[in-house]
Amino acid sequence: MATTTESRSEDALSETSPGDGPESDDPEIEARVGISYTLRQIRRDPTALAGLFIIGFMTTIAVVAYVDAKLLDYWLANTFWVNPENDPQTVSTLLPPFFTDNAYGGGTLNHVLGTDHRGRDILVRLFYGSRIAIQVGFISTMIGLVGGTLVGAVAGYYGKWIDDALMRAVETLYAIPFLVLVIAFMAAFGRNLTFAMIGVGIASIPTFARLIRSRVLSVREEDYIEAARAAGVRDRNIILRHVIPNSFAPVLVQGTLQVGYSILIVAGLSFLGFGVQPPTPSWGQMLSQSRNYMLENWWFSLWPGLAILITVVGFNLLGDGLRDALDPRINN
Amino acid sequence: MLRYTIRRLLQGIPVLVGIVTITFFLTDAIPGDPVSIMLGPSPSQAEVEAIRTKYGLDQPLWLRYVNYLGDVSPIWLATTGSFPFVRPTFGIDLGRSLYYGVPVTRKIAERLPVTLYLLFSAFAFALATAVPLGVISAKRRNKPTDHVSRIVSLIGVSTPSFWIGLMMIVVFAFHLGWFPSTNLPLPWADPASVEGARTQVDVITTSLKHLLLPMVSLGTLQMAAFTRIERSSMLEVLSEDYVKLARAYGVSEGTILRKHAFRNAQLPLITIVGLNLTGAIGGAVLTETVFSINGMGRLIITAVYNQDYQLIMGTTLVFGFVFVVGVIVTDISYAYVDPRVSYGERE
Repeated sequence: MATTTESRSEDALSETSPGDGPESDDPEIEARVGISYTLRQIRRDPTALAGLFIIGFMTTIAVVAYVDAKLLDYWLANTFWVNPENDPQTVSTLLPPFFTDNAYGGGTLNHVLGTDHRGRDILVRLFYGSRIAIQVGFISTMIGLVGGTLVGAVAGYYGKWIDDALMRAVETLYAIPFLVLVIAFMAAFGRNLTFAMIGVGIASIPTFARLIRSRVLSVREEDYIEAARAAGVRDRNIILRHVIPNSFAPVLVQGTLQVGYSILIVAGLSFLGFGVQPPTPSWGQMLSQSRNYMLENWWFSLWPGLAILITVVGFNLLGDGLRDALDPRINN
Repeated sequence: MLRYTIRRLLQGIPVLVGIVTITFFLTDAIPGDPVSIMLGPSPSQAEVEAIRTKYGLDQPLWLRYVNYLGDVSPIWLATTGSFPFVRPTFGIDLGRSLYYGVPVTRKIAERLPVTLYLLFSAFAFALATAVPLGVISAKRRNKPTDHVSRIVSLIGVSTPSFWIGLMMIVVFAFHLGWFPSTNLPLPWADPASVEGARTQVDVITTSLKHLLLPMVSLGTLQMAAFTRIERSSMLEVLSEDYVKLARAYGVSEGTILRKHAFRNAQLPLITIVGLNLTGAIGGAVLTETVFSINGMGRLIITAVYNQDYQLIMGTTLVFGFVFVVGVIVTDISYAYVDPRVSYGERE
């Protein structure tokens, strides 16, 4: 019986939550908040659109590569590209891109971006490397975002000693340099992709926690939170349904930027030998392998770096666009 | 000022204790037995026991933790021996490196100056380029200069620093041969220890030549991040009422920029400089690997590869210490730049 009244009172409250409240009669105010407003802003912003396009492109490639590797058993790769391991006669190592020449021969259209030290096509490896980058970027950011949001919201909402304890812990985590923390974490639990993602996720918790806490501190003083508390809504529901949604805008922006940052970090980890183990291709690991050959074969190092650069630029563009759209103060 | 400094330093202590705790238990979770790594295959039981006692590995985990916490504190009432007998010990002891066989503090003292040298010069480079870029960008908002500077900083924050290093080695070290691509001698090193140097001046020029590529490689990301902050902060200050007032009084744009806007716009930048130290230290690990510089970054990588527990804990702790000190220094300079920050109040 108690639960029904509670859920009813919550429904009543969510009807009067901001955006739907009395102020929504005023189109001026209503027009500057909400998802539809944000989307409209982004559609008008060419840089954000460019970012969205890059992310869409890379994600599509990553999904296709994932499906091909997991479900089609590399059907795409074997159809459109000669696998050197299947046919040793055709192996030509360290071929340059198709418009240039080097000591190993001229570049061909079969290997547009050239081949690596084992005769593998660089374009194909970039293609399969994209799934690692995208997967790592999204999953680790998700871990950091969910963890950080919960920690920050709880700390900000309850205040007092809970806030002190949680934020001190978060500060400590932040004080250990990001990469060093992830390396130590991977040394302890295992040097593979899963722990790289978890490690990067945990290491990014402080960023999100600090961000949302500073917003929650003002949101918790709002009247609708007071009203919810007075109506007897449990703290857990207040935090999940009112506090977090109303403090979420900066987290969304940071989350977008963080995906790009995670991709950079994991590329660095793979470069150092932590992360994806060969022969699974990843961009960072391709860069690491190219170190021994790059002096004579510059393109070997160039392409994976460019791939990382373009992907991260995409997330940064979208993040900047989102920030402009979500923060009305900048628009004047 | 002094009281504020001391209080900020004291506030750093819990964070450092936290770092020790995290690294201690993280390192303890590393699979494998350090003793078997040290002694190689099939050591005798007596040897194992001797080593375990020597390194205190026969003690329970909590006692080892308390002892380690004590060893890294400058003054500590030791509980080793017959607990709860206590006696004060002085000095910082990070244990002995299992791989190098020397005290961790000595190894770190050897490596830390190189890393700090690299970090400081990278930040100096970043600030020296970012501040003018950001100011010009804000002054010429939405003009071609602004667009170029924004594109450069966007690419800067999106590029892996180690990749910039790799490409610079290919171009400037290999093809053009302008700069060396490995090693980094310190400018105050002994001339006898540096190749091709006879006087101290030679050492300094050699050192600077070696420094340039790693510095740019590590500093680019910071430069880009600082430029973005500087630009938006300048724009914000330039739209303040007092700037409008100054304009209305006919104060020249140059004077407004220099006297009214510039100083106030530096506050967010100072905060970011401190906070970005943690990212830059991670970047230093990569930069040192790319340029084969024997600094702290390569030390921790070797430590992890060799499962050198004491060294992993020691280097992580020192990195944390560098960061905490860096943040405190920026806090104090913040208070120095902005007279509104009162020293007596809680932050």
